[in-house]
Amino acid sequence: MPVHKAGPRLYRSVPFKHLAKGGAGSTSRSSNIALNLTPFVDMMTILVTFLLIVFSTSGELLKAQKGLELPKADRKEQLQDAPIITVTKSDLSFQGFQVATIESLLKDENPQMKIEALFLKLDAHGKKTKENIALSSKATDKRAKKACDDAKAGITNNAFLCPEGLVILQADEETDARIITMIVTTAKYANFENVLFAVKKK
Amino acid sequence: MGAAIDTGDKKSFNVELNIVPFIDLMSCLTAFLLVTAVWSEIARITIQPKGKSRSNEPPPDEIPAKISVLIQPDMIYVGVSSAPIDPVIAKKENGEYTWSTVESALTALRKEPIFDGRKDIEIAAESTTQAKVAYKDIIHAMDLAAKTGFDGVGLSEPSSLSWRPSL
Repeated sequence: MPVHKAGPRLYRSVPFKHLAKGGAGSTSRSSNIALNLTPFVDMMTILVTFLLIVFSTSGELLKAQKGLELPKADRKEQLQDAPIITVTKSDLSFQGFQVATIESLLKDENPQMKIEALFLKLDAHGKKTKENIALSSKATDKRAKKACDDAKAGITNNAFLCPEGLVILQADEETDARIITMIVTTAKYANFENVLFAVKKK
Repeated sequence: MGAAIDTGDKKSFNVELNIVPFIDLMSCLTAFLLVTAVWSEIARITIQPKGKSRSNEPPPDEIPAKISVLIQPDMIYVGVSSAPIDPVIAKKENGEYTWSTVESALTALRKEPIFDGRKDIEIAAESTTQAKVAYKDIIHAMDLAAKTGFDGVGLSEPSSLSWRPSL
């Protein structure tokens, strides 16, 4: 390897001379280098189209929880906004607030299968929802009122269920079945008769 | 990005399309959609509270036949109350229930004339501290029930099932 004299030589090793010369070979004119953006624009368009297709708002209802893996099912029905009962590997919570620990619930020998702390929270929430639907004049609540009237008449609209007595159960797939039975029984005591089991689509 | 436009004369002239705003918009949209994308789609399985569908109806003269699915730690029973139909037992093999047996049992019941137009089914899980039944197995049973046309699933306690296996 030859030894060069010390001095600045930044970019000297990069052979840009052919660009500076230009295609026509004239050295006096500066050359325009056009960047081909077509593949980039194509890729962007495909990516945006794909993301718009998979865009879904149903996932916003449920927050990811540590120690919670939802079970998988083939169902396609979308979740609806409702109060959420969350069961992780260690805790039972309602609307994000801890109600009991799984260990304490499994030790509980209550023959009624009723979780008292959860019942109180559900009962209070149920009364509040009922009042809101009855008094409010918002368009969404009018829709809810109609759904509730339909439900009382025996007409069930799966696209929008009556919010009265509606609760989402977001439980870890390995949860003991006794906990699930306890929660469903407690929900029935509190007049939450429609339990939506959150599942992951297969 | 350039394009040559033919003007009809001998000479055509080049025009430059300004695609910078388009790229800006695309970049913003891509970033927004990537941030808000929900990769795991969530669905729901709904249950019918026990007896709710019959609350406004007069009590029937005779108790109707009802399908009961009992999930135990080592096997699943599919039985029918008030009807001369033999129960089906799906055992656990290699740590997994034989779900195909449950599905075929429910499909066969779907074809029975007594369940024509009926959607109700009751499911219960008998779990103990020593041998537990996992929630995912309840969901699997509910999913199969809905798949075979019994989407009026009622989740109840094992003791309150209309049909229970007799020892």
